Amino acid sequence: MSKWNRRKVLKGMLAGSAVTVALPLLDYFLDGNGEALASGAPIPTRFGTWFWGCGVNAARFFPDKLGADYDLKPELAPIAPFKQKVTVLSGFNCILGGKPSLMHWSGVMGTMTGAAPSTGGVGVGSADAPTLDCLIADSIGNGTRFRSLEVACTGEPSVSYSMRTGATVNPSEVDPISFYKRIFGPEFKDPNAGTFKPDPAIMLRQSVLSSIKDEREKLLRTVDAADRARVDQYFTSLRDMESQLSLMLEKPAPAEACILPKEPMKSALGPTWEMTANSHAVLGQLMVMALACNQTRIFNMALSNAASNLRKPGSPVSFHELTHTEPVDPALGYQPQSTFFMEKSMETFAEMLRMLDSVKEGNGTLLDHSLVLATSDSNEARVHSIDSLPILVAGKAGGKWRSGTHIAGNGDPCSRVGLTIQQTLGMPVGSWGLGAMQTSKPISEVNS
Amino acid sequence: MPKQSRLVFTALSTLSAVCALALISTSSIAAPDPAAGIAAPAPQEPPTLGGPATFRRLDEAQYANSIADIFDNSVKIPGRFDPPWREDGLLAIGDGKVVVSPSGLEQDELRARNISAQVLAEDHRATVVSCAPPSAVAFDESCASQFIGKYGRLIYRRPLDQDELRSVMQLARAAAKQTGDFNKGLETALARLLASPNFIFRVEHVQTDPDTGRTRLDDYSVAARISFLLWNAPPDETLLDAAASGALREKRGLETQVERLMASPHFEQGMRAFFSDMFAYERFDNLSKDQSLFPIYSSQLAKDAREQALRTTLDLLLTNNGDYRELFTTKKTFMNRNMGALYGVAIEEGGVGGWAPYTFDADDHRAGLLTLAGFLMLDPSHEGRSSPTIRGKSVREIFLCQKVPAPPGAVDFKLVEDTHNPINKTARERLTVHRENPVCAGCHSVMDPIGLSMENYDAIGDYRIVENGAPIDASGTFNGKSYKDVIELEKVMHDSASLTSCLAKRVYEYGAGRSVTNDEKEWIEYLNQRFAAEKYGVPSLLRIVATSQAFQAVSAATKVAAN
Repeated sequence: MSKWNRRKVLKGMLAGSAVTVALPLLDYFLDGNGEALASGAPIPTRFGTWFWGCGVNAARFFPDKLGADYDLKPELAPIAPFKQKVTVLSGFNCILGGKPSLMHWSGVMGTMTGAAPSTGGVGVGSADAPTLDCLIADSIGNGTRFRSLEVACTGEPSVSYSMRTGATVNPSEVDPISFYKRIFGPEFKDPNAGTFKPDPAIMLRQSVLSSIKDEREKLLRTVDAADRARVDQYFTSLRDMESQLSLMLEKPAPAEACILPKEPMKSALGPTWEMTANSHAVLGQLMVMALACNQTRIFNMALSNAASNLRKPGSPVSFHELTHTEPVDPALGYQPQSTFFMEKSMETFAEMLRMLDSVKEGNGTLLDHSLVLATSDSNEARVHSIDSLPILVAGKAGGKWRSGTHIAGNGDPCSRVGLTIQQTLGMPVGSWGLGAMQTSKPISEVNS
Repeated sequence: MPKQSRLVFTALSTLSAVCALALISTSSIAAPDPAAGIAAPAPQEPPTLGGPATFRRLDEAQYANSIADIFDNSVKIPGRFDPPWREDGLLAIGDGKVVVSPSGLEQDELRARNISAQVLAEDHRATVVSCAPPSAVAFDESCASQFIGKYGRLIYRRPLDQDELRSVMQLARAAAKQTGDFNKGLETALARLLASPNFIFRVEHVQTDPDTGRTRLDDYSVAARISFLLWNAPPDETLLDAAASGALREKRGLETQVERLMASPHFEQGMRAFFSDMFAYERFDNLSKDQSLFPIYSSQLAKDAREQALRTTLDLLLTNNGDYRELFTTKKTFMNRNMGALYGVAIEEGGVGGWAPYTFDADDHRAGLLTLAGFLMLDPSHEGRSSPTIRGKSVREIFLCQKVPAPPGAVDFKLVEDTHNPINKTARERLTVHRENPVCAGCHSVMDPIGLSMENYDAIGDYRIVENGAPIDASGTFNGKSYKDVIELEKVMHDSASLTSCLAKRVYEYGAGRSVTNDEKEWIEYLNQRFAAEKYGVPSLLRIVATSQAFQAVSAATKVAAN
């Protein structure tokens, strides 16, 4: 905290990095609440989602006690080391309001888009509104090389819960080597390198994109009315890319926590538990470094698909099938084989928290400067219930989110969580959600 | 079992009206039996108003075929493609719904740069640049415009208009100036063409037919529809020339081009693409089965199973111009070493290093597509066991074009659990509740019996007669006809009008990139009649669709481009 002052930061900006400081950060700096890195640059807030399939056993997951110092049931026990940094939300529902109940789809889209989806089912479908990460990326994602990064741990690029309205997902990276090359390959500019020389090839690429923009008007005139939004989406993606390229022509701001990772080894990809856990460990570590090195501020991780195909090697049935076919053990009161995956999911989430929390930034950690929304497609997958969806928010958004409490939603729409996150991140959003999920009531308990 | 049948009947007629309705609404119009009638003159094509023009994203194969055809096979295609989307039974329809995601565009731009660099690399340049600029540094207007004009037309599947040409030339000029390298100017221009939405998407242009006053595709868009239908690739120069000359507007000219395309070796590539889409073979891409349960399974075995099914299909339907219905009864297939090992059959010498034709014995338990591993293992949601429900659903949806509704959201799966006897030995026993519980029976009665007929084949398609020590009962009824196993079921399906009308509908939708509209129902009936008259020959079906007026019709709601 003590190493920076207004003069130093302004001096740093005048030395050439001014354009890389995005507006929300400048606001953040000026309101005097934030922390800054030793270099003088304010620490950005990051947003991420972490998805796991097939829900929880509610009785073994949700704490009984509300407020701070909530109790940890067996399925939430893995987060114990980070309890002070995790907000548990119970009783927040996906309210259909006449929309169909789409198995393993309504729940996740409810939380992510603030709208019950109209089409889909068994873990895939379309979105009636953009997912939260896209909206947040529109607000704070333009200052980095990647507007957002997506990974999935079971080897399938189509497993992603990041999408604009419609049926196209932002596909996930699944192979650690490709993911590494995309971020830390030849185009990566080390923010801590002493020298910087703009690459003239980047300027040529900018000219190419700029030239393609000449085609927009004619295309919009040509396509059917229903397709105009799709043409526009192409040009939105194109403009995003132009701004990415502009950033690559400027000397990146130093990032003291950035350590260039080594290229990962080739590994087997798939939904058997060991493979998935290994993918998560490697992809997660790369993601953490992408955040620490200011390559992106938005990330999406999917442990598996919603109708989870996770499986133990040698077992003929997947997690999803188990939830529907495995008998409830009368002595235990739950399905033991399904529960294995529920417990593993939370252990893996805790592993992600550990990775984020181990990166020191300013007086805190990367986790302290993030908000990570972790959720699933259902409460009890066995009956596809979408009441009291399991929702966790980890991190403190640089001190703007008061973490470490258990908050009851009492049957309110789960869109309240997304609304609160957007407002915490400084977005001018008064109400959010569609239809029965529309809300203008943020969760006031988390705002410090 | 009167009690049970009554229960199922009640369920069908009352509780699950949704299921019954869905099946009825998509079931086919009966086609005449070709064997019964004497060859009648081909019926007149009924007029249609068509549907909207489409804006379809190129899929991975279409992208690769485009690059191979425009340049050559030596050009490598780097990067990842956005995942495909299946809608109304076809990826080809989904292509018209998807967008390019930001990370998808990142990949498209990377691909465009990489491909341009390969095409204009020193050792390759001579094959694409025929003019010799006087200087390697200075910008040569005439050479650049020749290059951009030629490749722009192939890449955009139509000539560039003046504005487009000017824009690309300007970029080439600026790039050459900035780099001091004429070739770099061309490379930059080429990258721009390849990253353009006019390449990444198939843009259909609409015009008004001066004779009828109706809207229809313009000539270049017709050319693209035909070539993607028949080749899964863009129009070549000859087809673009035919479009330019107006030849495609004449019946003879259109037929000449369609015949030429169908006579080309590319036709097989096109049909592979069609059947891969209709049979949902993209599901092979991430397919995995548990190797500890199925030691013989490998990703290569999955590839071979797909290849065997495609070879069987194409050999019957293209090479031998066979009756589509026989695909479900044929004893003829192809074997390689892997498949021979899976089926436990001896293979010809030719099959050791590659594929050799193979005919199952008359009493062999395999005949027809549904008994091949390419169908039996294609269930990405079950890695360790077979699912009669999924198999039954696949048959209904893929081969009969019948949509099975998703289960209602509030299903309590406790019904499927049998806590008193958790180890039901066979799938039929495990699924008893699907049939006996009226809530489930409505929909499951249309899926499970079909799937249970295939229980003699495990999750990777290996034959078995017992499951967990209990004998497998594969009998059932379909459309009121009983069968004892899947081979008999396939014979019943062979005679079902839904089988052939489903193919006809899919071919048309695949080419048009959208579902059949209400207005086109009469036309589809006409197509079914023609298909029957052609003894269910698939090349004939493709020819009828490609040369039809319906294939060019566009509903008036689509604007005529103010070009």
